[in-house]
This record gives sequence, C-alpha cells and structure tokens, in this order.
Amino acid sequence: MTELASGFVEAIQLLLHRDPEVEGVVVRTLLVSGFATLLAMAIGVPLGFVLARKRFPGRTVVLGVVNTGMGMPPVVAGLFVWLLLVRNGPFGSMELIYTTRAMVIAQLFIATPMVMGFTVASIQALPPGLPDLLRSLGASRARTLWLLAREARLGLLAAVMAGFGAVISEVGASMMVGGNLRGQTRILTTAIVTETSRGQTERAIALGLILLAIAFVVNLFLTRSQQARAT
Amino acid sequence: MDVLVDAVDLARERGFRLRIPRLGIPGGRVTALFGPNGAGKTTLLRLVGGLETPSAGRVVIGGRDAGETARRRVGYAFQEAVFFSGSVRRNLELALDLRGVRGRDAEARIEEAADATGTTALLDADARRLSGGEGQRVNLARTLALRAPLTLLDEPLAQLDGATRLRLLDDLPDLLGRFTETTILVTHDLAEASRLADRLVVLVAGQVRADGGMAEVLRRPPDPEVAELLGHILVASPAGTMAVHPKRLRVGDGPVRVDLTVRRVLDLGHEREVVGSIGDARVTVALPGGYPEPAPGTTLTVAADEAVTFA
Repeated sequence: MTELASGFVEAIQLLLHRDPEVEGVVVRTLLVSGFATLLAMAIGVPLGFVLARKRFPGRTVVLGVVNTGMGMPPVVAGLFVWLLLVRNGPFGSMELIYTTRAMVIAQLFIATPMVMGFTVASIQALPPGLPDLLRSLGASRARTLWLLAREARLGLLAAVMAGFGAVISEVGASMMVGGNLRGQTRILTTAIVTETSRGQTERAIALGLILLAIAFVVNLFLTRSQQARAT
Repeated sequence: MDVLVDAVDLARERGFRLRIPRLGIPGGRVTALFGPNGAGKTTLLRLVGGLETPSAGRVVIGGRDAGETARRRVGYAFQEAVFFSGSVRRNLELALDLRGVRGRDAEARIEEAADATGTTALLDADARRLSGGEGQRVNLARTLALRAPLTLLDEPLAQLDGATRLRLLDDLPDLLGRFTETTILVTHDLAEASRLADRLVVLVAGQVRADGGMAEVLRRPPDPEVAELLGHILVASPAGTMAVHPKRLRVGDGPVRVDLTVRRVLDLGHEREVVGSIGDARVTVALPGGYPEPAPGTTLTVAADEAVTFA
C-alpha cells in the first residue's frame, strides 16, 4: 500500500517536473497505439462490413479466424511480425525491425481482428431490412454505407475502444519487435517491465498509473461520444 | 405507369423458381398479387421494386428498366416495417431526403401523409419503439409521402389489430388514389385483395395462374386449383369438375344443383343457417324463413345460378 501511494506521488512528480524521458515514452505510446488503432479502423471496419453483409464460400472460416484473432495473445502477434521483419526474414530488407513502425505493424495485427469482430457484430445487430429500405429509396452505395455505419455507431465506437484498449495495454509484441530501446522504441508498457526488473518499483507504479490515466481519458472521451449519441 | 414483366426467370434457394412469360400490369389501377405462402408474390414485388435482378428476362416500368427506374419512381412498403433510430419524423425526412425532397416541401408532405394515415401523434415518437400496428401505419405514411407514381405494398395490413385494419381497409383505396397512380399489393387474404384492388393476379408455385379484372377472375377461375384458392367448392359432375362459390349457394332450386350433407342448424335469432358439407368443404347456407328445419345427417339440395366447369 505504501509503495502504491509513493508510486502515485512519484507519478505526479514525474508529470509535474516534466521528466523528458517519461514525456517521450508517453508521446511514443500514444503515437504508436493511436496510429495502430486508426489503421486497424481503416482496415477492420470495411472488412467487417463486408463480412457482416456478404455471403461467400468460406465466410464461416473467415469469421472463425477473426474471432480467434480477437483472443490472440499479443506475444504471438509479435512473434509473427518479428519473423516477417527480422533481418533475414521476407521483409528484412525494409529494416523495420526494432523501430516504432514495426511496433505499429505488430499492434495492427492485434487491433484489426478486434475492430473487425466488433464491426461484424454491430452491423449484424442492425434490423436486417435496412439495406433493402435504403436501396428502395434510391440511396447510393456510399450513402447506404454511411447511414448503416451511423446507425451502428455505438458498436463501432466499442470497436475503437476495444482496439485501442488492446494495443495500449500490450507488452509482448512491442517488446519483441520494438526491442524496448531507450529513447527510441520504449513505450509505457515496456518501460514498466524494465523499471520493475531494475527494482524501480515506485517508478514502475508511476508509469502504470500514467498508462491507466491515458486509457481512462481516451475511453472516457469515446464513451461520452458513444452515450451522447445513444440518447 | 404500366409495368411489364417480360420472360422473367429467377431461381431462388430451396428449389423455388419464379417463371413469368409475360405479365402486364396496367397503370392507374390497384393490382393484388394473391397466392398461398411461398407462391412468389414478394419475390415478384421485389423484382418490380428493382431489389432483385432476374436471371433472364426483364421488368419494365413506364417503358424503362425497373433497376434504373425503381429507386426514383417507386415507393415500397415492406412487410416488415424497419426504421432508423430517431423519431418517426426523422425517418420520414430521411426517406424524402433520399428522393431529393427537403425543407418545407418535405415537412408539408410528412404532415399530409401522417394526417392521412392517422400517425400525426406519432411523428415525434421514437420510431424503434412503435408497436407492430403503429409501425405498419408509419411504414405506409413513409411510402405515401414519397408520392411515387408506382407504389408497392407488401401485406400492408398484416400486423394491424381488428379495428385499425377495418378502418384502413376502408381508407386505403382513397389514400392510394390521392398519393399514387398505380399500386401493386401483395396479400394472402382474398377479402383484403377484393376490397382494395380492381385487378387480381394469382400466383402458384412461382407461376402466374390467373390474371385479369378482380370480378372476372373471381367469377371464372381458370383451373380447379385456382378456383379452390379463390374459395370455390369443387364438385364432381358428369361434365367434369365443377367449381361453385359457396356465397352463391342458396336453399332451393336453380340451374346448378349440389347436394349438401346437413351437420347442424344455427338459429341466430334474425335468421337460421345450415352448416353442412359438400365433399370435404364446409359450407354455411341461409335457411329461408318458414323452411322446415333439416335434421343432421340428411341431404339438402342447394343451388347456384352459375358454376364453372372444368372438363
């Protein structure tokens, strides 16, 4: 309990004193996870739409893969991306391994199934007659997609929250493909692991509290927009 | 706005196939598509509404392909009323907006359609929380507000309670006259079809089996199966199978005579009715005043002025 309290005090001190290393870690965390979530939305929402609305051979298998992906351990995603990007791997020549870009890619593998799965569920939960209604009224394909997405907005915001929550809290994948290089690829979760292993428990707790605060603020913002639109 | 279904062939799941060599639906009339469940009524309506593409043939509305025309000139009220979240007014505004009607024009049309369908009080209600009957009426209001030259109604009265259904059954012909030019409605209720439509198309197993003026098709069904669907009783006669409508039967003599086996006599106070059977069909015939009450199990001769005979 004393450690937790002193960790809390140290977290405030770290923020108040604007520790440049901590600030760098926080900004890097937000950039990597934010960018990975945005990319996952760009890929996962349209694919989720297709998967929810189209019938094609093998659809059930694809849904099964997506659902498995939603529960995939981040370290497995990390291993997969590491094998692709490692120097002698198929994309080794791109020299992405141990960079923040590699971390974005790994987090993309974690967040995309999450976003897809939530998108499929929210689109399938819409009244089945809505697409026909829109077609009969002459809505263009783009307008139809927009109106359906707007109708499924609560589920789509849940998809953003789930995707962002999954990537900002993962450590295994980022550690594996980012290497946890100080000042370069260290993010909040990997920094917490490092500080704990060094015996800097209070600093680790401080970083943990900062991580929780970030997750809380982002989710509070998303929840507020979700609930405002629900009424 | 004339509709022509020309050499259409459409295969669907579970072996169902809609095949219509040629069906013309004249403009300015109300045509009922009638038939048993699974006959292809809704599939045909969806083809006309441009929501299905035939594997062969074409559907032409007012001289143009249905796929091009339907989304601008057709109003479609689906059997299952679906709405977007938000108020009823918002849903009607969205429908009109998609047809390019906005602002004051849209408001005027919404007020008019709501007033005509008795849904004015529902305009600010949450569309997703309407009861089945309310939803059906709002569904109709949304379709009428489009003022489309061709209106398609799929079982428009299916979910309404008795009183509302009767009222709308009375009001609908006038409403359709005011808001649209040509109507095609799907129903499996013959009474509804005959009250609302002046033309009847009978579909059985994906094929048009009868098509013509309502009275003519009802009076002269083309074959025994359609005759039975239209409520006629089939009776074997020396000339072949005879179809006679039970409402034409009376106790006494006439050109067409049929034996009725009496089951019981109902005394309704103001009149008496004989409940009996002709073959497998159950029939009720009014018993003339002063006529001696027949005993159950006896045979009573009933007659009609006309019947259709199939060789």
